[in-house]
Parts: sequence; structure tokens; C-alpha cells
Amino acid sequence: MERQNAPGDRDQLDAVIKALYEVISFDEGGEPDWERMRTLFSPHARITRVTPEGTDYLDVAGFQDLAKEIIDLGTYTRFFEIEVLRDERRFGGLAHVLSAYETRQSRSAREPFARGVNSLQLIREQGEWKVLSLFWDEERTDNPLALPALFDRGEVRWPS
Amino acid sequence: MAKLTRERKNKTVYRVVGESQAQGLIFNRSASGNGPSCVVDDRVLRNFGSCSYMGLERHPALLAGAAAALESYGSQFSFSRAYLDSPLYQGLEEALEQITGRATLVAPSTTLAHLAALPVLVSDDDVVLIDQFAHASLHMATDLLKGTIVERIRHNRMDLLEERINAYSKPGRRIWYLCDGVYSMLGDFADFAALRELLGRYPQLHVYADDAHAVSWTGKHGRGAALSHLGDSERVVVALSLNKAFSAAGGALALPSPGALTQIRRCGGPMLFSGPIQPPMLGAAVASAQLHLDGVFSSLQAELEERMTAAEDALARLNVPVATADRTPIFMVQFESLRAAQRAVRELRQRDYYCCLSTFPAVPMDKPSLRFTVSRHNSVAEITDFVAQLADVIAVRGDTQASAYAS
Repeated sequence: MERQNAPGDRDQLDAVIKALYEVISFDEGGEPDWERMRTLFSPHARITRVTPEGTDYLDVAGFQDLAKEIIDLGTYTRFFEIEVLRDERRFGGLAHVLSAYETRQSRSAREPFARGVNSLQLIREQGEWKVLSLFWDEERTDNPLALPALFDRGEVRWPS
Repeated sequence: MAKLTRERKNKTVYRVVGESQAQGLIFNRSASGNGPSCVVDDRVLRNFGSCSYMGLERHPALLAGAAAALESYGSQFSFSRAYLDSPLYQGLEEALEQITGRATLVAPSTTLAHLAALPVLVSDDDVVLIDQFAHASLHMATDLLKGTIVERIRHNRMDLLEERINAYSKPGRRIWYLCDGVYSMLGDFADFAALRELLGRYPQLHVYADDAHAVSWTGKHGRGAALSHLGDSERVVVALSLNKAFSAAGGALALPSPGALTQIRRCGGPMLFSGPIQPPMLGAAVASAQLHLDGVFSSLQAELEERMTAAEDALARLNVPVATADRTPIFMVQFESLRAAQRAVRELRQRDYYCCLSTFPAVPMDKPSLRFTVSRHNSVAEITDFVAQLADVIAVRGDTQASAYAS
């Protein structure tokens, strides 16, 4: 697979991934940055949420409705997710990214309460990278997450 | 619109609760009654988990009341109260009216009190705003309010409450705010000062408070926190528990008028169709109510106050972070992960202390916690020792990332 390393292009893709983690994180009493979240996705984007209880196949608006309901129910009162490892492949106007994450209660928390992997497909639309598909699964006892072996065939990048 | 189905919610709860059950930290069976200690898995553990804050369950007056009622009226009185009342009800309700200073209706439980009262009190066109951390039984009761707008408000956010009052106000419409007097998990109070102020400014605002965890240990005659702060308002309804610090059984509604009582008595489903509190526990409840009214009850409250102070002092001295500075017998230490909370509870059990693990759905996913309570059963020395053990357990030691934090 051809790797493209055009100056600026990689930075822009990196900025989208970083922004994705920023917009879903929120402090106590807050909520995700819904508006900025929308700007990161293609209008054709799909979000697929895998949980042990079932899978949700959503568009961005559907995901936001679901997230709002979860926050409204008090299931989460704050949320902070960071990227810990990334495998990134690009060809022309497409990019595939596997992004391992840790979910913590706050920026200062020392211990994650969940880990998992986001699978992202990005598309270059009108010169900008946009998320076309976000799809993730969480680490569980029967689904252990071993880093960095998970990405041993990819271009592994530790986030700066 | 994507929605969480009931089935999905149940599956998530089943999984999360099951994880802690598999660890042996919840759904335990006691081999003893409640008191200074409890026996779990053949270990005698000092008890820092009970909601019997006043520790009255073996008080001679309550034991005698229960025994006398059992002897006089048998093990049960199997009638709906709509047909025939046990002779003990009248004495209990009269005593509770003296305690609360209000028309008081006894219900089989606090949950059933909510289920009876809310569909009667709340009209179709009213709006219900409910604190997101209000007791599960209150949220459950709102499911009966078909056709009424029900909206959750972030915990104790009086600014958001006022915003929603303004958004929903229209002539003739009442706006109900449902909250706990003392929140059973966090151990904090409702923001009574702000509620009083809002009640003063918004005549359409009505408050319904579940004060189950504040009964007995606080307020004149143990009337609780909500009645102590808001009891003079005709737009406030308070639900009480006779099950926790009161050491008997059942619940009660302290109502602003005899008319409201009659309405709920006649129309509230569980008041017509549910069974009553049975005679032995009614006997204990009458005895407990009389104890609350006798002149020395405040000295029993002072004994608990002394123990709460001991816990607060030890927590502060040892830098153990708790979720709230509000003065109640409920203390919550929050952890960064469920694993860390489980480790702390497990380690304390190995040190012969019983306290509770609080996980979703009792608390948010992001607030797995160790919840402990103090009661008159705990000596000051025991409390000091317990907090020292707790501080030791949550200290960062090698691979034990305890990760306790302050909110």
C-alpha cells in the first residue's frame, strides 16, 4: 500500500483524530462538544457502537441522541478519553486508522476505567480529512487488549 | 432517533452488577442480625454499611412494641387498608403527625408511597423535573405519569432547575421538582436554601422530596432534613422511611393538608390495593415514634452526631477524599475504576470491616465508589480505626493503584 507523506496532510489527519478525542471528552457537569463533533464527520458518516449487550448502527445525529440520553440518565457525569496507540494507513483520499484508547474519569486520573480500540475510516472531502466511519469495541475479560502487539503489522505511532 | 431499549439497559445492568457479584462483594448473605457487627462468609465484620443510623433495632421499647403487637394481633392483618385498618395504624399516624407537624399518611413502603402519591398529586398538564440522582423509586414513580412532561435535571443544579421552570411556565401549570432530602449514595443534601428561595419566587413550583435517609437522625423529633428546612411551605410534600434509622417498617407521606391526604388515601393505587404493614412491625413503629417524641431522643441524635464528627475528623486528618462535605452519616469515597473500588472493599473485608461497594446503576459508571455509613452501633474508637484502615487501603502502594479522589 502506498504511503503518502505530503507535508501538512498528515498533520491535518492527525488533527482530526486528536479533535475526535477532544470533542467526546467532558468534565463533571459538562457534555461533549456536539457542534464541533459534527464538523469532524462526513455527511455520509456512520458510527457503530459495539457493546456486550448489542450493536448500534448509527449516523452522527443518532449517535448524539444516544449519547445525550446516556448523559441524561446519569450513566456518565464526565468522560475523558485519550489515544494511547495508533496504526495509520493511507492511500490517496482514504485512510484507515486503528486507534487504541483509554477512558478515564478526568484528565488527572491515573487509572483508566475502560480501554478499547476505535476503528476509523477517513475520507478526504474538499481537501479536508473527514471521518467516514467510526467503529469501536471495548476490552473485556474475554476480549483482552494487548498493546502494542495488536498493531504489530502496522505503522505504529505513539501519540505525541 | 436512537434510544436505549429497556432490554439493552437491563442487559448492561445485568453484566455490570454480575461482575461485582462474581467478586463476592455484593449480594452477600449475613449470618447475623444488624448491629455493631455482621457475619459475612463466616467472618465477623465490624459494620460500616447499615442504614440503621440510629441503631434502634434492638432498643427495648421497639422489641416490646413488636412483641406486644404480635401477641395481641398475630403475625398479620390481611386486609387492604381501604377495607379495614389494623388498630395500630391510628396511633402510628397520630404520633407521626406530632413528629412531622403535618397530616401524615403511612404507606407500606417509601416506594409505594411515591407510587401512590405522585400520580394523584401531579396533573396531566403539570411538568415534573427530577434530579438525576434522586432515588430509583422516585424515577420509577415518574413512569406512571403518562402524558406529563418529565425531565431530568443535573444533580443539585439549581441554576438549571430555574432555567427549566422559566421554560415550562404557563398559567395554571404547576412545576414539580422531585429530589432526595439526603442522597443515599453521595450522602449530600438537596440544596434546601436555593429551593426555599425558588419556592419564594416561583408560586408554580412544588417540591416532592424523598427524605428516607434523613429520618430520625436529624431534625426535631427526627422529622428529617426536608421538613426541617421546607416544612412550612404548603407546596412541599415529603416522603419518609420508617425502615432505616426509624428501625421499623414502611414509609409515610408528610402532606401539606388533610385534603391532600384524603386524596391520596382514596385514589393512590397502592393505598387501595396493596397490603398493610403487619402488626409486629406496626408495633415496633408505634414504639419508635413514641421514642422519637420523648424528651430524650435528641440525646440519641447527639450520640450519632459525635460519631459523625469522629469520622469527619479522621477523614480530614488522614486526607481521605470523600464526595461531599455535607454532614450526614453517609460517606462516599470515589475511585477511578471499578477494579480499584473493588480492591478497596475487598481489602477492608480482609481487615474485618464491612462497607459497601457502589457501582452502576446505583452510581454513574464514572463514579465507582466505596460507601460507608456510621451509626450509633459504631464506637468512636472503631470509627477512627476504620478510617485509618481505609486510608491505608487507598494509599498508593506498589501495584495497588487505589486512585481515590475528591470530587
